[in-house]
Amino acid sequence: MATTTASLTITSSDLVGDALSLSTTNTLHKAGTTTGLEQSTGLARVYLTAQTNVDLFGAIVDTPAFEGKAHWVYICNKSEDETEYATITIGDKVIGRLYAGDFLWMPWDTAEDTHGDNKHADIELAPSVATGMHIEYAMFHEGFQLTTAV
Amino acid sequence: MATIDATFSLSSDITSYGLSINNTMTMTKAGSTTGLDKTTGLSRRVFTSTNQVDLLTAGTGVAADVPTDKLSSKLYIKNVGSDSSQYFIIGKGNSSGGSTETTIASDGTAYYRIGRLYAGEWMLIPWDAVATTGDITIQPSTAETMHVEYMVFFE
Repeated sequence: MATTTASLTITSSDLVGDALSLSTTNTLHKAGTTTGLEQSTGLARVYLTAQTNVDLFGAIVDTPAFEGKAHWVYICNKSEDETEYATITIGDKVIGRLYAGDFLWMPWDTAEDTHGDNKHADIELAPSVATGMHIEYAMFHEGFQLTTAV
Repeated sequence: MATIDATFSLSSDITSYGLSINNTMTMTKAGSTTGLDKTTGLSRRVFTSTNQVDLLTAGTGVAADVPTDKLSSKLYIKNVGSDSSQYFIIGKGNSSGGSTETTIASDGTAYYRIGRLYAGEWMLIPWDAVATTGDITIQPSTAETMHVEYMVFFE
Protein backbone atom coordinates (compact mmCIF):
# COMPACT_ATOMS: atom_id res chain seq x y z
CA MET A 1 0.00 0.00 0.00
CA ALA A 2 1.33 3.38 -0.96
CA THR A 3 1.28 6.41 1.27
CA THR A 4 0.60 9.80 -0.28
CA THR A 5 0.40 12.80 2.00
CA ALA A 6 -0.88 16.22 0.98
CA SER A 7 -0.28 19.26 3.14
CA LEU A 8 -1.34 22.87 2.97
CA THR A 9 -0.14 25.83 4.95
CA ILE A 10 -1.73 29.25 4.56
CA THR A 11 -0.04 32.13 6.31
CA SER A 12 -0.39 35.88 6.43
CA SER A 13 1.04 38.37 8.85
CA ASP A 14 -1.01 41.33 7.68
CA LEU A 15 -4.36 40.14 6.30
CA VAL A 16 -6.11 40.43 9.63
CA GLY A 17 -5.23 42.03 12.93
CA ASP A 18 -3.38 38.98 14.21
CA ALA A 19 -1.16 36.68 12.22
CA LEU A 20 -3.02 34.03 10.27
CA SER A 21 -1.66 30.51 10.16
CA LEU A 22 -3.58 27.49 8.95
CA SER A 23 -2.00 24.09 8.45
CA THR A 24 -3.60 20.83 7.43
CA THR A 25 -2.37 17.44 6.29
CA ASN A 26 -4.16 14.37 5.08
CA THR A 27 -3.25 11.00 3.64
CA LEU A 28 -4.95 10.13 0.37
CA HIS A 29 -7.19 7.10 0.78
CA LYS A 30 -9.45 5.05 -1.40
CA ALA A 31 -13.02 6.25 -0.99
CA GLY A 32 -14.49 5.38 2.37
CA THR A 33 -11.46 3.43 3.55
CA THR A 34 -8.11 3.93 5.19
CA THR A 35 -6.28 2.19 2.35
CA GLY A 36 -3.88 4.43 0.49
CA LEU A 37 -4.27 5.34 -3.16
CA GLU A 38 -2.02 3.32 -5.43
CA GLN A 39 -2.27 4.98 -8.84
CA SER A 40 -1.07 8.26 -10.30
CA THR A 41 -0.57 9.97 -13.63
CA GLY A 42 2.69 11.36 -12.32
CA LEU A 43 3.47 15.05 -12.54
CA ALA A 44 3.08 16.22 -16.12
CA ARG A 45 4.10 19.49 -17.75
CA VAL A 46 2.75 20.90 -21.00
CA TYR A 47 3.37 24.06 -23.01
CA LEU A 48 0.14 25.36 -24.51
CA THR A 49 0.36 27.77 -27.43
CA ALA A 50 -3.31 28.31 -28.20
CA GLN A 51 -6.31 29.55 -26.28
CA THR A 52 -8.16 26.39 -27.12
CA ASN A 53 -10.06 24.76 -24.27
CA VAL A 54 -8.43 21.34 -23.78
CA ASP A 55 -8.97 18.31 -21.60
CA LEU A 56 -6.31 17.84 -18.94
CA PHE A 57 -8.21 14.82 -17.68
CA GLY A 58 -10.67 13.38 -20.13
CA ALA A 59 -14.11 12.25 -19.14
CA ILE A 60 -14.56 8.74 -17.85
CA VAL A 61 -17.10 7.24 -20.20
CA ASP A 62 -18.00 4.27 -18.05
CA THR A 63 -19.17 6.52 -15.27
CA PRO A 64 -21.04 4.02 -13.07
CA ALA A 65 -17.93 1.87 -12.71
CA PHE A 66 -15.82 4.78 -11.56
CA GLU A 67 -18.30 7.04 -9.80
CA GLY A 68 -17.46 7.48 -6.15
CA LYS A 69 -13.86 6.43 -6.61
CA ALA A 70 -11.25 8.76 -5.17
CA HIS A 71 -9.53 11.10 -7.60
CA TRP A 72 -7.36 14.03 -6.56
CA VAL A 73 -6.23 16.67 -9.01
CA TYR A 74 -3.35 19.15 -8.84
CA ILE A 75 -3.01 21.87 -11.47
CA CYS A 76 -0.54 24.76 -11.48
CA ASN A 77 -0.17 27.66 -13.89
CA LYS A 78 3.61 28.07 -14.19
CA SER A 79 3.42 31.34 -16.12
CA GLU A 80 5.43 34.22 -14.69
CA ASP A 81 3.31 36.93 -16.31
CA GLU A 82 0.74 38.05 -13.75
CA THR A 83 -1.76 38.99 -16.45
CA GLU A 84 -1.94 35.46 -17.83
CA TYR A 85 -4.42 32.96 -16.48
CA ALA A 86 -5.88 29.56 -17.17
CA THR A 87 -9.61 28.99 -16.86
CA ILE A 88 -10.42 25.65 -15.25
CA THR A 89 -13.69 23.95 -16.04
CA ILE A 90 -15.33 20.72 -14.97
CA GLY A 91 -17.89 19.56 -17.47
CA ASP A 92 -19.09 22.92 -18.76
CA LYS A 93 -18.99 24.53 -15.33
CA VAL A 94 -16.20 27.04 -14.79
CA ILE A 95 -14.42 26.50 -11.48
CA GLY A 96 -12.24 29.58 -11.67
CA ARG A 97 -9.06 31.13 -12.98
CA LEU A 98 -5.51 30.17 -12.11
CA TYR A 99 -3.31 33.22 -12.51
CA ALA A 100 0.45 33.01 -12.86
CA GLY A 101 1.83 30.86 -10.06
CA ASP A 102 -1.59 29.78 -8.80
CA PHE A 103 -2.41 26.15 -8.12
CA LEU A 104 -5.46 24.15 -7.17
CA TRP A 105 -5.95 20.89 -5.30
CA MET A 106 -9.35 19.31 -5.44
CA PRO A 107 -11.26 16.03 -5.47
CA TRP A 108 -12.78 14.95 -8.74
CA ASP A 109 -15.89 12.86 -8.78
CA THR A 110 -16.85 11.63 -12.21
CA ALA A 111 -20.55 12.00 -11.66
CA GLU A 112 -23.05 10.80 -14.19
CA ASP A 113 -24.92 13.53 -16.03
CA THR A 114 -28.08 13.60 -18.10
CA HIS A 115 -26.31 13.01 -21.36
CA GLY A 116 -26.54 9.47 -22.65
CA ASP A 117 -22.84 8.77 -22.87
CA ASN A 118 -21.89 10.46 -19.61
CA LYS A 119 -18.84 12.05 -21.18
CA HIS A 120 -18.90 15.46 -19.62
CA ALA A 121 -17.07 15.33 -16.31
CA ASP A 122 -13.75 16.12 -17.95
CA ILE A 123 -11.43 18.66 -16.38
CA GLU A 124 -10.66 21.34 -18.93
CA LEU A 125 -8.18 24.17 -19.15
CA ALA A 126 -8.15 27.20 -21.43
CA PRO A 127 -5.14 29.54 -21.50
CA SER A 128 -5.85 33.26 -21.70
CA VAL A 129 -3.08 33.79 -24.24
CA ALA A 130 -1.69 31.99 -27.25
CA THR A 131 1.87 33.09 -26.62
CA GLY A 132 2.70 30.01 -24.61
CA MET A 133 1.84 28.91 -21.11
CA HIS A 134 3.42 26.16 -19.03
CA ILE A 135 1.00 24.05 -17.02
CA GLU A 136 1.84 21.32 -14.53
CA TYR A 137 -0.73 18.77 -13.45
CA ALA A 138 -1.09 15.46 -11.71
CA MET A 139 -3.81 13.09 -10.61
CA PHE A 140 -3.78 10.54 -7.79
CA HIS A 141 -6.60 8.04 -7.97
CA GLU A 142 -8.03 4.58 -7.43
CA GLY A 143 -9.20 3.98 -10.95
CA PHE A 144 -9.29 5.74 -14.29
CA GLN A 145 -10.60 4.65 -17.63
CA LEU A 146 -7.99 4.49 -20.37
CA THR A 147 -9.12 5.05 -23.93
CA THR A 148 -9.43 1.94 -26.05
CA ALA A 149 -6.82 1.86 -28.81
CA VAL A 150 -8.07 2.25 -32.39
CA MET B 1 -2.22 45.17 0.40
CA ALA B 2 -1.71 41.98 2.33
CA THR B 3 0.54 39.02 1.67
CA ILE B 4 -1.11 35.62 1.82
CA ASP B 5 1.05 32.60 1.06
CA ALA B 6 -0.31 29.13 0.44
CA THR B 7 2.19 26.29 0.42
CA PHE B 8 1.26 22.91 -0.99
CA SER B 9 3.41 19.89 -0.25
CA LEU B 10 2.83 16.37 -1.44
CA SER B 11 4.98 13.35 -0.85
CA SER B 12 4.31 9.86 -2.10
CA ASP B 13 5.87 6.46 -2.54
CA ILE B 14 3.24 5.63 -5.13
CA THR B 15 5.91 5.14 -7.77
CA SER B 16 9.20 3.28 -7.52
CA TYR B 17 11.13 6.53 -7.50
CA GLY B 18 8.86 8.46 -5.19
CA LEU B 19 7.04 11.65 -6.05
CA SER B 20 6.99 15.00 -4.36
CA ILE B 21 5.43 18.35 -5.17
CA ASN B 22 6.28 21.52 -3.31
CA ASN B 23 4.80 24.81 -4.38
CA THR B 24 4.01 28.16 -2.81
CA MET B 25 1.66 30.71 -4.26
CA THR B 26 1.13 34.23 -3.11
CA MET B 27 -2.52 35.05 -3.57
CA THR B 28 -2.80 38.09 -5.82
CA LYS B 29 -5.53 40.18 -7.36
CA ALA B 30 -6.49 39.33 -10.92
CA GLY B 31 -3.83 40.30 -13.43
CA SER B 32 -1.58 42.01 -10.92
CA THR B 33 1.08 41.41 -8.31
CA THR B 34 -0.98 43.10 -5.61
CA GLY B 35 -1.97 40.76 -2.83
CA LEU B 36 -5.51 39.79 -1.96
CA ASP B 37 -6.69 41.79 1.01
CA LYS B 38 -10.05 40.38 2.08
CA THR B 39 -11.28 37.18 3.66
CA THR B 40 -14.47 35.71 5.04
CA GLY B 41 -12.45 34.36 7.92
CA LEU B 42 -12.45 30.70 8.83
CA SER B 43 -16.03 29.53 9.19
CA ARG B 44 -17.33 26.30 10.68
CA ARG B 45 -20.69 24.77 9.96
CA VAL B 46 -22.57 21.83 11.41
CA PHE B 47 -24.86 19.55 9.39
CA THR B 48 -27.44 17.11 10.68
CA SER B 49 -29.27 16.13 7.51
CA THR B 50 -28.42 14.89 4.03
CA ASN B 51 -29.98 17.90 2.31
CA GLN B 52 -27.96 19.55 -0.43
CA VAL B 53 -27.57 23.23 0.44
CA ASP B 54 -25.43 26.22 -0.41
CA LEU B 55 -22.23 26.40 1.58
CA LEU B 56 -21.47 29.71 -0.08
CA THR B 57 -24.02 31.71 -2.02
CA ALA B 58 -22.38 34.01 -4.52
CA GLY B 59 -23.03 37.63 -3.66
CA THR B 60 -24.82 37.07 -0.36
CA GLY B 61 -24.16 36.14 3.24
CA VAL B 62 -20.49 35.75 4.16
CA ALA B 63 -19.73 35.84 0.43
CA ALA B 64 -21.53 39.14 -0.13
CA ASP B 65 -18.32 40.96 -1.02
CA VAL B 66 -16.71 38.21 -3.08
CA PRO B 67 -16.43 39.48 -6.67
CA THR B 68 -18.89 37.90 -9.08
CA ASP B 69 -17.08 38.93 -12.22
CA LYS B 70 -14.28 36.41 -12.65
CA LEU B 71 -11.75 38.15 -10.47
CA SER B 72 -9.37 36.39 -8.12
CA SER B 73 -10.89 34.41 -5.26
CA LYS B 74 -9.54 31.33 -3.51
CA LEU B 75 -11.71 28.88 -1.61
CA TYR B 76 -10.55 26.47 1.08
CA ILE B 77 -12.86 23.72 2.37
CA LYS B 78 -12.10 20.92 4.83
CA ASN B 79 -14.16 18.03 6.17
CA VAL B 80 -13.07 18.11 9.79
CA GLY B 81 -14.77 14.84 10.69
CA SER B 82 -12.95 11.69 11.74
CA ASP B 83 -15.22 8.91 10.40
CA SER B 84 -13.53 7.66 7.24
CA SER B 85 -16.84 6.52 5.74
CA GLN B 86 -18.54 9.91 5.92
CA TYR B 87 -18.14 12.51 3.21
CA PHE B 88 -19.45 15.75 1.78
CA ILE B 89 -20.31 16.11 -1.90
CA ILE B 90 -19.01 19.48 -3.02
CA GLY B 91 -20.52 21.01 -6.13
CA LYS B 92 -21.01 24.25 -7.95
CA GLY B 93 -24.30 25.74 -9.06
CA ASN B 94 -27.81 25.40 -7.74
CA SER B 95 -28.48 23.32 -4.64
CA SER B 96 -31.69 21.32 -4.52
CA GLY B 97 -32.48 22.06 -0.90
CA GLY B 98 -33.56 18.45 -0.49
CA SER B 99 -31.89 15.12 -0.02
CA THR B 100 -31.60 14.50 -3.76
CA GLU B 101 -28.62 16.05 -5.49
CA THR B 102 -29.40 18.55 -8.22
CA THR B 103 -29.49 16.85 -11.59
CA ILE B 104 -26.29 17.35 -13.52
CA ALA B 105 -27.40 18.61 -16.91
CA SER B 106 -25.10 17.71 -19.76
CA ASP B 107 -24.26 21.35 -20.40
CA GLY B 108 -23.37 21.81 -16.72
CA THR B 109 -24.84 25.29 -16.59
CA ALA B 110 -27.11 24.74 -13.61
CA TYR B 111 -24.96 22.46 -11.50
CA TYR B 112 -21.95 20.23 -11.62
CA ARG B 113 -20.49 18.00 -8.96
CA ILE B 114 -16.84 18.67 -8.14
CA GLY B 115 -15.99 15.83 -5.80
CA ARG B 116 -16.20 14.24 -2.38
CA LEU B 117 -14.38 15.27 0.76
CA TYR B 118 -13.97 12.40 3.18
CA ALA B 119 -12.88 12.87 6.80
CA GLY B 120 -9.78 15.02 7.04
CA GLU B 121 -9.71 15.89 3.36
CA TRP B 122 -9.43 19.45 2.12
CA MET B 123 -9.42 21.36 -1.13
CA LEU B 124 -8.16 24.71 -2.37
CA ILE B 125 -9.57 26.05 -5.63
CA PRO B 126 -10.10 29.34 -7.40
CA TRP B 127 -13.73 30.38 -7.14
CA ASP B 128 -15.49 32.03 -10.03
CA ALA B 129 -18.36 33.28 -7.90
CA VAL B 130 -20.65 34.20 -10.75
CA ALA B 131 -24.10 35.21 -9.59
CA THR B 132 -26.88 32.61 -9.45
CA THR B 133 -24.99 29.60 -10.83
CA GLY B 134 -21.70 30.13 -9.04
CA ASP B 135 -22.78 29.00 -5.60
CA ILE B 136 -20.75 26.36 -3.81
CA THR B 137 -23.00 23.52 -2.73
CA ILE B 138 -22.52 20.86 -0.09
CA GLN B 139 -24.35 17.65 0.72
CA PRO B 140 -23.47 15.41 3.70
CA SER B 141 -23.47 11.66 3.17
CA THR B 142 -25.24 11.03 6.44
CA ALA B 143 -27.68 12.73 8.76
CA GLU B 144 -25.31 12.17 11.66
CA THR B 145 -23.61 15.31 12.84
CA MET B 146 -20.88 16.41 10.44
CA HIS B 147 -18.66 19.48 10.45
CA VAL B 148 -16.99 21.46 7.71
CA GLU B 149 -14.62 24.41 7.82
CA TYR B 150 -14.21 26.86 4.96
CA MET B 151 -12.65 30.18 4.10
CA VAL B 152 -12.53 32.50 1.11
CA PHE B 153 -9.74 34.89 0.21
CA PHE B 154 -10.75 37.55 -2.30
CA GLU B 155 -10.14 41.02 -3.70
